[in-house]
Amino acid sequence: MKRLLSSIRDGNGFDIVLVAFPLGFLFLMAGLPLLYNILMSFQEVDMFSLGTFLRPFVGFKNYQDLFALPETWPILGNTAIFVIGSIAGQFLIGFGLALFFWVNFPGASWLRGLFLVSWVMPGLVVGAIWNWILSGDFGVLNFMLRETGIISGNIFWRSDPNYSLYAVIMANVWLGTAFNMILLSVGLASIPGDLYEAAELDGANAWQRFWTITLPMMRSTIGAIISLGLIFTLQQFDLFAAITSGGPNNSSNVTQYWAWDLSFRQYDFAKGATISVIMIVFVMFASVVYVRSTRHEVRG
Amino acid sequence: MTKQIELSGVNKYYGAFHALKNIELSIEKGSFVALVGPSGCGKSTLLRSLAGLESISTGDLKIAGELMNNVPPRKRDIAMVFQSYALYPHMTVEQNLTYSLRIRGVPKAQAKKAAEEVAATTGLSQLLGRYPRELSGGQRQRVAMSRAIIRDPKAFLFDEPLSNLDAALRVHMRKEIRTLHDRLGATSVYVTHDQIEAMTMADHVVVMKDGVIEQQGAPLELYDRPANRFVAGFIGSPAMNFVPAVVGEDGRSLAVDVGEKQTIVLDRQLQPGRKVTAGLRPEHLHFVEPGQGVFRLPVGIVESTGSATYITTSTAAEVTIVETSRRQVKTGDVIDVSIRPADVHVFDGETGLRV
Repeated sequence: MKRLLSSIRDGNGFDIVLVAFPLGFLFLMAGLPLLYNILMSFQEVDMFSLGTFLRPFVGFKNYQDLFALPETWPILGNTAIFVIGSIAGQFLIGFGLALFFWVNFPGASWLRGLFLVSWVMPGLVVGAIWNWILSGDFGVLNFMLRETGIISGNIFWRSDPNYSLYAVIMANVWLGTAFNMILLSVGLASIPGDLYEAAELDGANAWQRFWTITLPMMRSTIGAIISLGLIFTLQQFDLFAAITSGGPNNSSNVTQYWAWDLSFRQYDFAKGATISVIMIVFVMFASVVYVRSTRHEVRG
Repeated sequence: MTKQIELSGVNKYYGAFHALKNIELSIEKGSFVALVGPSGCGKSTLLRSLAGLESISTGDLKIAGELMNNVPPRKRDIAMVFQSYALYPHMTVEQNLTYSLRIRGVPKAQAKKAAEEVAATTGLSQLLGRYPRELSGGQRQRVAMSRAIIRDPKAFLFDEPLSNLDAALRVHMRKEIRTLHDRLGATSVYVTHDQIEAMTMADHVVVMKDGVIEQQGAPLELYDRPANRFVAGFIGSPAMNFVPAVVGEDGRSLAVDVGEKQTIVLDRQLQPGRKVTAGLRPEHLHFVEPGQGVFRLPVGIVESTGSATYITTSTAAEVTIVETSRRQVKTGDVIDVSIRPADVHVFDGETGLRV
């Protein structure tokens, strides 16, 4: 008993206690719900069995039912478009801005900090702002497109099934660009300046230096930012709730919103859980990529 | 001999700071030039200006006869070895070597062959597949040099390339760089703060201080006839002793202020009564039998390296003597020391210029 106490005070026991707290917290708050969610996707759940833990086991019936629904594939497709569109937009604009601020003109760091405002804003607020911007009758976006002659008539971004998903993507790109920019700026700043001088003396022009030095040196940062982007876009819920509510007619519905809709609006908890499990697989994949790309840091 | 690099009236300003002041320097093809001076003297700025990494504010910079003032670095055909080596960490040794060739669109097979040839001369053949992080400091240094050699540039620039190596390797690489220079018949400009590196490697040494070239010339010329007190003190190790002195009535004797005033008889005529500084190199001061010397000096500190003994006197103006004989001396002894009149350097007491 005395040895155990002294180990906790000064030794391995202390390390274990330190690790045990976050691990225990993680297991309680994230691990258990995750496991419960997986379990629920294999059970028959209705309003009357909600409070119980052991419910009738139905095997893969929930999965079969889910894929028999007509809206499942379109929603999965929407999710893919949303994820790819958001990540591509956030990354490209973020990288462009990071390169722009890298030039380090007077006030660059101050202005870069200001960009973070979009990242710290709550999703619902961002959604409300974009609702005004996107508004069909009096929205700024329509006004600008009309004045520049790109469109002739108003686009009803939020209620036209052809545009509703892209309306949310636009808002999400705006929301996530600053975060991409900051991480990419950090990556850029960690590339030693003399590499560029050496490459310049070796005859490389600006474009060649970007392709042969900047991009390869940024590989781990880019891997991390894209996998984080995948995780964040799959978590994006607020914007859907604020802008389109998944509509009209599921045209802007994505899995994360649909899972909530099935569980808490239609009370089909089993299907909600089933979609969540499918998403877990994707997020797990992204996490592995993230962990791997931050581990393989290439530094001289 | 043709001039490979010519600088005339070159000035460099950073805002109000005047980093390079009226630099006049011409470097002959095939010569090895060392830029040496204390940190902040402008030697690195000068080197970076040659490379084009810094632009010069006024003056002309010519490489191989062409005006280069506004030519970007990549078009100057100059190779540089950085203090940090600046190897590309995401490329293997071979890719590092062939980078400049690949950029210029040299076919892969040809680039590979060139890399193998250069690697064979610098002893890197076994390491071509490795990444820089897997190499030792000396090997990285060799990669950095090979990367410069493979291009066959108009000039090589070295920016303190040996300062990250340990002492033994530094001495070794010194010879290796010089041998390589001779074999390639290259033109090299070498920046260092270590005067021994400059003296041993270069054909032509340029001593700089506060953005000004204090003196330039062959290494031994600088050692034998330093133009001013700064160069005299900077070249040679241990550093030259400076003692205040006054020229005697006859203009040929020097009353030197060490301990009791002592007199050196010179081999030349100076203006009587002039206040000067006498420069005495430690290695030019020799022990003599009592009563024979020009100095009688009390011994302060005695340090022995084995090959030589460094004796520092306990006089007000400290004098260091390097003695290679094993004569026993200890603190508190009084020794008799002599110097050949020709070895006495005389500098003006105020301007510090050679008299």
